[in-house]
Amino acid sequence: MTTDHDIASVRVRTLERIVEHDQIWERMAAEYGVTHAVPPWKSSLDAMCDALDEEGAALPLLTRRDDEDRITREVYSSLPHPENQLVALAHSLVARNVIDETELAGRLATVRARLDPGGA
Amino acid sequence: MTETDLDGSGHETHQHAGTAPMVEEVTDFEVLEIALRELAIEKGLFTAEDHRRYTEHVEQLEPAAGSRFVARAWLDPEFRRLALDDAVAASREMGIDWLHPTGFGTPSDFTAFEVLEDTPTLHHVIVCTLCSCYPRPILGMSPEWYRTPNYRRRIVRWPRQVLAEFGLYLPEDVEVRVEDSNSKHRFMVLPVRPDGTEGWSEEQLAEIVTRDCLIGVALPKPGVTSNAVRPVHPAVRPVTSD
Repeated sequence: MTTDHDIASVRVRTLERIVEHDQIWERMAAEYGVTHAVPPWKSSLDAMCDALDEEGAALPLLTRRDDEDRITREVYSSLPHPENQLVALAHSLVARNVIDETELAGRLATVRARLDPGGA
Repeated sequence: MTETDLDGSGHETHQHAGTAPMVEEVTDFEVLEIALRELAIEKGLFTAEDHRRYTEHVEQLEPAAGSRFVARAWLDPEFRRLALDDAVAASREMGIDWLHPTGFGTPSDFTAFEVLEDTPTLHHVIVCTLCSCYPRPILGMSPEWYRTPNYRRRIVRWPRQVLAEFGLYLPEDVEVRVEDSNSKHRFMVLPVRPDGTEGWSEEQLAEIVTRDCLIGVALPKPGVTSNAVRPVHPAVRPVTSD
């Protein structure tokens, strides 16, 4: 189990690539003329955090929030909110060995293929 | 919103004048949110049904309940007394049950709820120094800045300076009390009813009680019905030893 001390020093290249691709909501919304202030996945992310807090075993609330504060500041400082909240949660789950990075990368490809069969 | 027949075909195009309904591209962040959720469900961290119910709960939260609560407290002395003596009971009169906010239980929101009454010489502001506890059943989801270490750590140390950054300059003879929330204890500010609102209806009053007034980083003012747009910056003097 990764300790609190080194959580931010773990590199998650799958997430780094997402950050580099820079499909942040502010930019995408402007490009498509959408006026919603937050991306459509925000409420689902909030619900995921609530559900994790409720369970409390894999990632207790205070651990999740401490990780988010630290990881958004130290690793993903270029990302705005709520992208930084989402990526920090993913980083935390990978760095704490709850989710394997290879498994995450595979699932990202599966979901992408399902939602966007034409390819992006 | 006006739907427009942009291609002149007479068929509904689902395009809208001036603004589009959605981004017509699958983004990496959208994919990441789904992938993460599916893996969490498969690993038994929570169920799909849990997630659906929390999403439904999150999406129905909004700060209007808090605004109506304060407007009613300004107009109705009996409700004001109840709000100060037993804010959970007062909330129930407004249709918010703190003991069962979702109808299926959210322990992190199960809470003691207290209303903090401002006076001309006393101003309250709320924070959660530990994480981002917030009176969600009555105020909705917290704003981004409320979650930041910048706000959480600095408001307790330099409250007047931080309030000034929100454009709220309080005279020295007004005492400032910062109330720290936690997972079981949430707060909301009952601001002083401003001058110039004599004879106003509950609906009119509720319009000027913005979310920021209920947190305590703004004061209600006739003519001001929305929160100031506030960019989020890293802390200039970050506190790292907490």
